[in-house]
Amino acid sequence: MQQVVCKLTELQPGELKEIQFGRISLVIGRTGAGELFAFSNRCIHQGAPLSKGKLCGTSAPTDLPGQYSYVKEGEVLRCPWHGREFDVTAGGQMMSDPRRALGRFQIFVAGEDVVVSTLNKPEKGEVADEQK
Amino acid sequence: MEVKQGQTTDGPLETGIIDTDIHERVLYPDLVPYLDNPWRRYITDCGWVQEKHLPYTQPTVAGLNRADAALPDGRPAGSDLAFLRSQLLDELNIRYGILTGALDPSPSSMNGWHEMATALASAYNDYQIEHWLEKDSRLYGSVHIAAQDPQAAAREIDRVGPHPKMVQVLLPIDNIVWGDPYYHPIFAAAERNNLVIAMHHNEPAVYFGRFPRYFIEWHTLISTAHMMQVTSFVFNGVFEKFPNLKLLMIEAGFTYVPHLMRKMDQQYRDLRHEVPWIKRLPSEIVREHIRFTTQPMEEFSKAEFEQWLDLLGSEEMVCFSSDYPHWDFDHPVGGFPNMRDSLRQKIFHDNALALYPKLPQDHRR
Repeated sequence: MQQVVCKLTELQPGELKEIQFGRISLVIGRTGAGELFAFSNRCIHQGAPLSKGKLCGTSAPTDLPGQYSYVKEGEVLRCPWHGREFDVTAGGQMMSDPRRALGRFQIFVAGEDVVVSTLNKPEKGEVADEQK
Repeated sequence: MEVKQGQTTDGPLETGIIDTDIHERVLYPDLVPYLDNPWRRYITDCGWVQEKHLPYTQPTVAGLNRADAALPDGRPAGSDLAFLRSQLLDELNIRYGILTGALDPSPSSMNGWHEMATALASAYNDYQIEHWLEKDSRLYGSVHIAAQDPQAAAREIDRVGPHPKMVQVLLPIDNIVWGDPYYHPIFAAAERNNLVIAMHHNEPAVYFGRFPRYFIEWHTLISTAHMMQVTSFVFNGVFEKFPNLKLLMIEAGFTYVPHLMRKMDQQYRDLRHEVPWIKRLPSEIVREHIRFTTQPMEEFSKAEFEQWLDLLGSEEMVCFSSDYPHWDFDHPVGGFPNMRDSLRQKIFHDNALALYPKLPQDHRR
């Protein structure tokens, strides 16, 4: 299944958007660098609507207690309830436990359109965002 | 996970849910009409607000609240009844919701100026009744008091406690352990008005009277502040003196309780002589008189959850709470493991119904 969800111009870098993909609510967005992502809009913890969260950065893991280094600006999706962090550039991995990840969907640009599909390879002639 | 309206884990509950921790938010201008002078003028002219101590206001994307609970017009989460109805009461199929206030102001936590605290508590109660309890049949309330003056607090309990929708007296957990006999007039008033005593932490300084460096430390150790209160109530003989009194400990979960019961029992076997008014194992007192809210829930498998209840020795001690609209809100579906129907009915409804004698005691809607 695939579906045109919006124009690329309607989704700016750093922006989150809730869209309906068939019967499923998805959160789509673009990182600060413009990379597209699409995930289930329900947090894997308690089901919070992730589109109400924040796309932000986070403090990098460090070996030095007391050291803060803010990284990945525009690449971290934080849940609106408990604040869990998911790395949208790493398949939606939960940053505190990378064994867990958000439900992921493919998202790519076709002409001026943003298209979401289930995780199959893009059809011939389409360019997956990750390959651009 | 598919979350459907009005469901708990494993499906809908015909009775609906009883939520034992809902934070309505009162703003100081809301209280002004309910205050006499000079108290009113201290707020309107002098800008009085209660001092706050908690150094952490940043835990999640919207501070201490759910990011999706702020009102579209910018007012703070929990301050609008219509929005609360839609996002919580209707969405989650809440049959009865117990209001626990925003704890700001928290009259019993004020340092000094007990007269102002007493006036604020009365204003809060009158505001709560008019703007919340009498506006939605599902909502029940907490009597706020200035416990520093137990006699005045008892008079306030006698004044508003008989209201049919007041079901408990709320005490904040800060730097007072409430089992001290000095506060017993409050418990006598609660008992004669058929009210539960409920405790909810406000801003307890959990590191030897100070705050730890990190919010994650403070939030992890909130249960230690609750343990002090349970221990204080049990060994000061509050339940021996007030045999009909019940206590609800709100928002420290329940996983600390098996440890505390076992530890108190062991101490009692050795040191009973120091508290000769205690005539049975502390764990028996806890099981009979104290209930604990679920939130904040650790993540459990079905088997782990049942194991923990086995350690409690009772399925009747734990009551669902959402803590709406705070950041660590627990959803009745997503926050809970699957459980058998009889247990689900108790956790989400029956245990709270049994706790609060003033709730309509009808198991069917």
